[in-house]
Amino acid sequence: MITRKIQYQLAKNAVGPFLMALDRWQQAQKQRKRKPRETPFGPPLEAVQKLKEIMTQNYFEGRYADGAVPVVWVTSGFPAEVFFALGFHVVYPENHAALCSTRHKVTEIAEFAERDGLSRDVCSYARTDIGSVISGKTPVGRLPKPDMIACCTNICQTVLYWYRNLAEYLNVPLVLVDTPFMYGGTKEHHLAYVSDQLGEVIEFAEKISHRKMDSEKLARVVENARDGSRLWGECLAISQARPAPWTGIDTFFHIAPIVTIRGTEVCNAYYRLLKDELTQRVAAGIGGIKNEKHRLLWDNLPIWFKVREHSTMTAERGFNFVCATYSNAWAEAGDLIDPAHPLESAAKTYTYVYLNRDLNNRLKTTVDLAKSFGVDGAVLHSDRSCKPYSVGQVDVKERLQKDMGIRVLLLEADHADERSLSGEQAEMRLLAFMESFNE
Amino acid sequence: MRKEYIDGQKREHGRKVVISLPIHYPKEILTALDILSVELWGPPGEVLGYQAGRIQTYVCPLVRKALAFIAGGYASSADALLFPHTCDSIQGLASLIPDFGGWDGPILRFIHPKGERRTSSEAYLAREIDDFIAQAEKLAGKKLEPKRFSDAVRLHVEIDALRRRIIEKRRNIDMRDAELYAILRRGEWLWPEDHLIELKELAAKIADKPLKKGVALMLSGIVPEPMDIFETLENAGAFVVADDYAAIGRRIPAPIDKLPDDPKQAVIERYFALPPCSTRASDLAGRVEYLAAAYKKSGAAGLILHNVKFCEPEMFDVAMIKKRFTAMGAPLLYMETELEKQLSGQLSTRLEAFVEMASKGGNK
Repeated sequence: MITRKIQYQLAKNAVGPFLMALDRWQQAQKQRKRKPRETPFGPPLEAVQKLKEIMTQNYFEGRYADGAVPVVWVTSGFPAEVFFALGFHVVYPENHAALCSTRHKVTEIAEFAERDGLSRDVCSYARTDIGSVISGKTPVGRLPKPDMIACCTNICQTVLYWYRNLAEYLNVPLVLVDTPFMYGGTKEHHLAYVSDQLGEVIEFAEKISHRKMDSEKLARVVENARDGSRLWGECLAISQARPAPWTGIDTFFHIAPIVTIRGTEVCNAYYRLLKDELTQRVAAGIGGIKNEKHRLLWDNLPIWFKVREHSTMTAERGFNFVCATYSNAWAEAGDLIDPAHPLESAAKTYTYVYLNRDLNNRLKTTVDLAKSFGVDGAVLHSDRSCKPYSVGQVDVKERLQKDMGIRVLLLEADHADERSLSGEQAEMRLLAFMESFNE
Repeated sequence: MRKEYIDGQKREHGRKVVISLPIHYPKEILTALDILSVELWGPPGEVLGYQAGRIQTYVCPLVRKALAFIAGGYASSADALLFPHTCDSIQGLASLIPDFGGWDGPILRFIHPKGERRTSSEAYLAREIDDFIAQAEKLAGKKLEPKRFSDAVRLHVEIDALRRRIIEKRRNIDMRDAELYAILRRGEWLWPEDHLIELKELAAKIADKPLKKGVALMLSGIVPEPMDIFETLENAGAFVVADDYAAIGRRIPAPIDKLPDDPKQAVIERYFALPPCSTRASDLAGRVEYLAAAYKKSGAAGLILHNVKFCEPEMFDVAMIKKRFTAMGAPLLYMETELEKQLSGQLSTRLEAFVEMASKGGNK
């Protein structure tokens, strides 16, 4: 235990920062030697290096976390502030699965879960993480074994089915925050239910961690979460400028801190840095792509394993994804969080999540984004692995076309599993979609 | 026949009719308010019209067919729709239809808690039931009378007790599975008192000793569609001895020693006494053990997991169930159907082969 704690502290405070500094130096050397390449993108964001360091450090610390500090695995929509306040190391399996997909490791890892009987029709994130638990395979070296796992159904019910399996494979307790779906407004007893469950979660987490919740610390974490969410929203809003100083595709990667270390000062410091850089780029007229002719909206999760190819293909033709409903989802909550009433406001914040609300609200959010970012087209990713996000898109497509007069493409793919994408067909559809703008 | 019956219920008894999507909802409250629940499990067979195309083909066929049915005007004689909070797809449909078209009438919703019984979920369920009562009262145009509520609870307790007995004593009833299941499934749309009469007639046929011969099987899944699965099994020499379909067995609460006198409290107890179900996100280990115990108790010679294609809640449980049954040495077949009119030839062959394999272990 003591050895483990020393290892963890070393990883966190000495080895991790040293490796990051070394990587920074190596990157700078490479950059100096590298010949400038012709790309359709604007100059790369300098903040990317910091983002990489934060996320690498997070996963690096994680390798030594179990046995040193309490560890919890949580869903991306979980009110994880309570765990940060109790000093847990928090792991986000969704982020891990997305990372596996960008590294093209999903097929190899998910097959372990499929061999165990998990159908290829279920969410590819779930298959990847369960496969990773079965096989121990991961591109991040090692994921720490959790003391507990925590699931919030505000993004889908799928996470609950998935975490029930994780609890069995890992032989750890599962805690749940079940958020009743919102049709129109919410009901008082729905919020009370969420708030009650949060109380139960804290009680359980205190037992697991042998720590007592410090209300002042919780208030600080919640305040950070609110500020982080606002900062993230401000970074996104900067893309209303023409040209947008970054791309919607960039936002898929820069979303990582607000998802995984929300509530920490590191997260907020990062977004202040990013915001400053984006603001400077706008002032200097630097775009995310060199020649922004058309502005697009992206709906649903990214196609992680194809993000680079698709963004290059669109950027080459002057199309920039300037906003995305997915990235925006983590910016919506900022104003609902109240550090003075952490549990009550968390109940509201985490119930009023984009995916936990009816289709009318989803359409309204999409239309608002489309208008405020001045898009002239939208790509709706019909995601085989994310049915709750995808149901309703056929009607949304029609409404966007009819009410806003913009061009809309419904593109069927998968957020993580390459086997579920017909690559050439998708490319043809994207090309045809872009050609239609010249008609 | 079903349509005539439903029309008759409206005409002769002045009852309201609500089309209910699967699975779990407090039917006792509807009964007490003179509301007939007609459940919509698809319907199976051909998709009715083009509206199913509004939902992607990789989404549950039950939901796609229900959309086609409702938006195609086939539910127009109903007074309301009821959406329990079963899964993401039904939740999506419950928003799609009122938000983007397909149904302009009243909609009832019952968002039951997920996961195991907790202090929070118990308190929430009580309040959600109050909310559901208010919705149903509005539809019925009258207040829920405590006596009628209590009577309705008693009626449904009796119905469930009979259904449980019939399934448990399956071997002692000399009847084809297709016929037996047809009667059990008529509970999806008959007025409960009418269903009770049929169940009593059926229960009277339970003999003192086993009459069914053949390979005894346990079936688990969402809904036994297409229904010719029973004919195929029978022709192969098998019959169903234990049932874990969400449409049938999983809706029968375990017997409760002392049901509370307060009908609302009784409904809460009955909800938490339901057998483990993926759609309520019951504890997975608990569900697997429940199935293993039911399998052993029934003396089945094999388990068929019969899922509706793309049903995520159910698909996620398969790996752990397979593990447990493999460890028990129990033959297991996993199959998916899409609420077709008939089983495909390929599936029939798989079923026949499975029965043959299970038979080698002998009819326990």
